[in-house]
Amino acid sequence: MADEVVAPADMTFGAALAELEQIVRALETGQLELEESLARYERGVALLTACQKKLSEARQKVTALIGELESDEGEGEGAS
Amino acid sequence: MAARDQALSVSDAMALAKGALESVRLRVMGEVSEATIKPGYKAIYFSLKDGSAVMPCLMWRDSYDASGVALEDGRLVEVSGNFTAYVPKGRMQFQVRSVTAAGEGMLRLEVARLARTLEAEGLMAGSRKRALPGHPTRIGVVTSPRGKAIHDILRTLGRRYPLAEVVVAGVQVEGEGAAREIVRGLATLGAEPGVDVIILGRGGGSYEDLMPFNAEEVARAVAASPVPVVTGIGHEPDTSIADMVADLRASTPTAAAEAVAPDVAEVSRALAAQSVRLGRALTHRVADLEHRVRSIADRPIMASCDALFATRAQTLDMLASGLERGIPALLDRRAEALVRARAALLRVGARLVEPSEAAVSRGVERTVLVGQQLLERNEQAVGRTAARLDDLSPLAILGRGYAVCYECEGPILRSAKSVSPGDRVDVRLAEGWLGCIVETVGSED
Repeated sequence: MADEVVAPADMTFGAALAELEQIVRALETGQLELEESLARYERGVALLTACQKKLSEARQKVTALIGELESDEGEGEGAS
Repeated sequence: MAARDQALSVSDAMALAKGALESVRLRVMGEVSEATIKPGYKAIYFSLKDGSAVMPCLMWRDSYDASGVALEDGRLVEVSGNFTAYVPKGRMQFQVRSVTAAGEGMLRLEVARLARTLEAEGLMAGSRKRALPGHPTRIGVVTSPRGKAIHDILRTLGRRYPLAEVVVAGVQVEGEGAAREIVRGLATLGAEPGVDVIILGRGGGSYEDLMPFNAEEVARAVAASPVPVVTGIGHEPDTSIADMVADLRASTPTAAAEAVAPDVAEVSRALAAQSVRLGRALTHRVADLEHRVRSIADRPIMASCDALFATRAQTLDMLASGLERGIPALLDRRAEALVRARAALLRVGARLVEPSEAAVSRGVERTVLVGQQLLERNEQAVGRTAARLDDLSPLAILGRGYAVCYECEGPILRSAKSVSPGDRVDVRLAEGWLGCIVETVGSED
């Protein structure tokens, strides 16, 4: 696969998670050669680590392309 | 209903009336009067009137809040609901389920017509609805940059899925020009790289406030968006055309934000599950391979390589013993054949030689006979020749008393000058020899 060349840290969370899921499914079929299994596992661990890192480090980023957002976070506002 | 023999109780009579009234649903237009809207009350009380009649009305607080219409005295409204009876007081009233500002009727007709047109074009077809990305990377938001909607959305996304960047197009969402701004916001976010879903939101408001979301250009922009659009337009009883065309309709901006992204807690759990499955899958795979290797290692063939050759070795032994048995038998057979062949050859050879032998002996006999005849003839001829030769022989002359003188062991001596006194000469007589010494040499003269 061509996208295996991409380092997990450079992937979007969704893409990394999707590839991880695919690897887990492939491994679970039990059809892979030992070498392939190990290579996939290694890749899976790298993806997993990257996903966990992204999750733990995630801080919401907001960009306004049009208009100017109120700086007020509106903490006091009630639920909708 | 059949007439009753017995008189009813008041309660029964009123219950009957209430049931009859409630079975009829109506839409009524009128002017609001005597509106009573008190904070603690569960319902809003008012009257609708026209020139000649008054109709007491009641509307439950929840429905009223959701309607977005302010019931103010003198305002012309359209209500739908049914009559009912307040039994304890024996009062008839109209229970309003929804209220819209009159004049809205026209708007609604227009909106309904547009909805039918767009539906006929297939813009609302279920098959057009796209699946949302499970884990969006950049979430676009088209809404007012101020107010409750944007904050609800940002708060919800920040809490649930801070992984995604939120890209906001803060646009005017009501009043003149709002539709055009919404279209521009959708186009801007749709063209933004990495934006994989767009929320189109606004808070609650009146039907008229909602009109930009019923605009045809907005509907078409939503349908044309390159990424899925989720609407969160907080106007519960009404569905805007934007809602109908969107890939997903959520009831509020908050609900829309919840719909576009999973909760990180959930994602973390899923990730943990993946981690467990990943480890387990590899362990199983390795154990499986290990088992296969062991099952091969345990086979007798791997324990001793003799087994590998046993069959062949046995075959070889059998072939060898066969050879041992086979070769002498073969030789015997060949020897016999040889003997037979020799006997046959001898028989055949004898037969072949016999005629030749006979021919040869016949030839020999004839040759001998011819030879003898030849010999006899030759002998006669020789005899005759010899007799003649005899006549010519010097010896025959010698017989007549002549002698021949030879130089000593040399030629016949013809001249006395050839010898000197003392020389030895030999003389041949008719019978025998004389060895002589010359005493004198003379000539005839």
